[in-house]
Amino acid sequence: MNTVKTLLTGICLFFSYLLSAQQKDTQSDLPYSNKIEVSNETLESLFQASGQISIDLAPGFHLEGAIQNRSEHGNSVVSLLINVQSRPGGMLNISRYRDEKGHLFYAGRLLKLHEQEGMMLVEKDNHYYFIETQQKFLVSE
Amino acid sequence: MKKCLVYIILFLAGAIRSNCFAQVPLLNSYSPAAPAVYLDFDGAEVEGTIWNEHGKIVAAPSGLSPASVSWIYKIIADHFKLFNLNITTDPAVYDRAPRHQRIRIIITPDGNWWGPATGVSAIGSFIWGDDTPAFVFMNSLTDNPSYIAASATHQIGHTLGLQHQSVYDSYGAMITELSGGETNIFSNQAPLMGIPFYKQAVWRDGHPSTGARNFQSDTSVIAGAPNYIGYRKTEEMSNSTENAIKIERMNRSYISLISSGDYSFRLLEMSGRLLTQGMLKPGFNEIRTNSASSGILVLQWSGNSGSGSQKIIH
Repeated sequence: MNTVKTLLTGICLFFSYLLSAQQKDTQSDLPYSNKIEVSNETLESLFQASGQISIDLAPGFHLEGAIQNRSEHGNSVVSLLINVQSRPGGMLNISRYRDEKGHLFYAGRLLKLHEQEGMMLVEKDNHYYFIETQQKFLVSE
Repeated sequence: MKKCLVYIILFLAGAIRSNCFAQVPLLNSYSPAAPAVYLDFDGAEVEGTIWNEHGKIVAAPSGLSPASVSWIYKIIADHFKLFNLNITTDPAVYDRAPRHQRIRIIITPDGNWWGPATGVSAIGSFIWGDDTPAFVFMNSLTDNPSYIAASATHQIGHTLGLQHQSVYDSYGAMITELSGGETNIFSNQAPLMGIPFYKQAVWRDGHPSTGARNFQSDTSVIAGAPNYIGYRKTEEMSNSTENAIKIERMNRSYISLISSGDYSFRLLEMSGRLLTQGMLKPGFNEIRTNSASSGILVLQWSGNSGSGSQKIIH
């Protein structure tokens, strides 16, 4: 009897694993190798800067660069293009959006064209992270 | 003589006013839709975007004839006819489009600033709101209008968040990043997000370049979040909604409907997640759902007598 119970439990576990695997199949999140949290205040400080930037985005993640372009698109979007000197040739393209209720949110990517790896700024549960991923998932031919 | 000159000047003024000398015809595939893809054949100067690692990019005009432009536009517009999206050659339409639902595709002869490629785009840039464009490089496409249209559609797909459709072996190892499709007695098709040049190019459901365990339904990604474009509601589709598929009733575990013919169908969440798919027979049909599949769903159907889609509040 115990053997049958164990067998049934095993079968149930196996099928629950299969179902969870199927659920995973429907997700299309980017595969990433590294994740660094950046606070909202730090992101906001980028938009208050002018000219040269030297800031710790996170412990061990220093950004040294110069604002190459600042553009405002309507009232809701401000975009910065930062030449990243601490990662020669790299560029941080970051935008700040304001929705109709006045909430701010951010999106961006740190790239060096034709490199293997790039970083993308993503938001999850009101926390922002730079995730390191293959650049072909960010820029494609 | 004076009179003659006046007539010539008047004719020229009239001609300019009526756009008869314009190189690029002003075309719109679906004017009721606010989200727009602007096909820019006129050349452009690009600054302040991720492409500007080495400064300003000056993209030369395509130099294509109005007939070629119209041909390319028509092929691209056909690929997007399912969606609530306006493919346009009119810059004013792009300017008026919502900032977070528009993209400019610059079709230009030369992509030397980037390197050898048929085009390049930033994935998901349709919703960035900062006017980052995508590019199609005609020289790499032997200036062939059909190839240019295929490449432009592929780049538009990237800007709408699509990754490449890839081929994997049974162990999940990638065989090729860009699927070339299949050639057999049943099909001669290739994915638009693979190599779309040599076969009938179509949107696909398949495994993207991000991994064999991921699934990408091209049409659902385009229509769903975060693009929020949705599907087109043309008169034709409204009719087909009434005549082809009629929802009878539904509850948490099923949707029952009357179908006017044989259709293949797919039921999707707005996020693009495929819930179920199968065949509809003429007459009464029941689609099994589960309690988790609630909210706004999209029913797509396709058959010999047409195709369509319908939102369902479940």
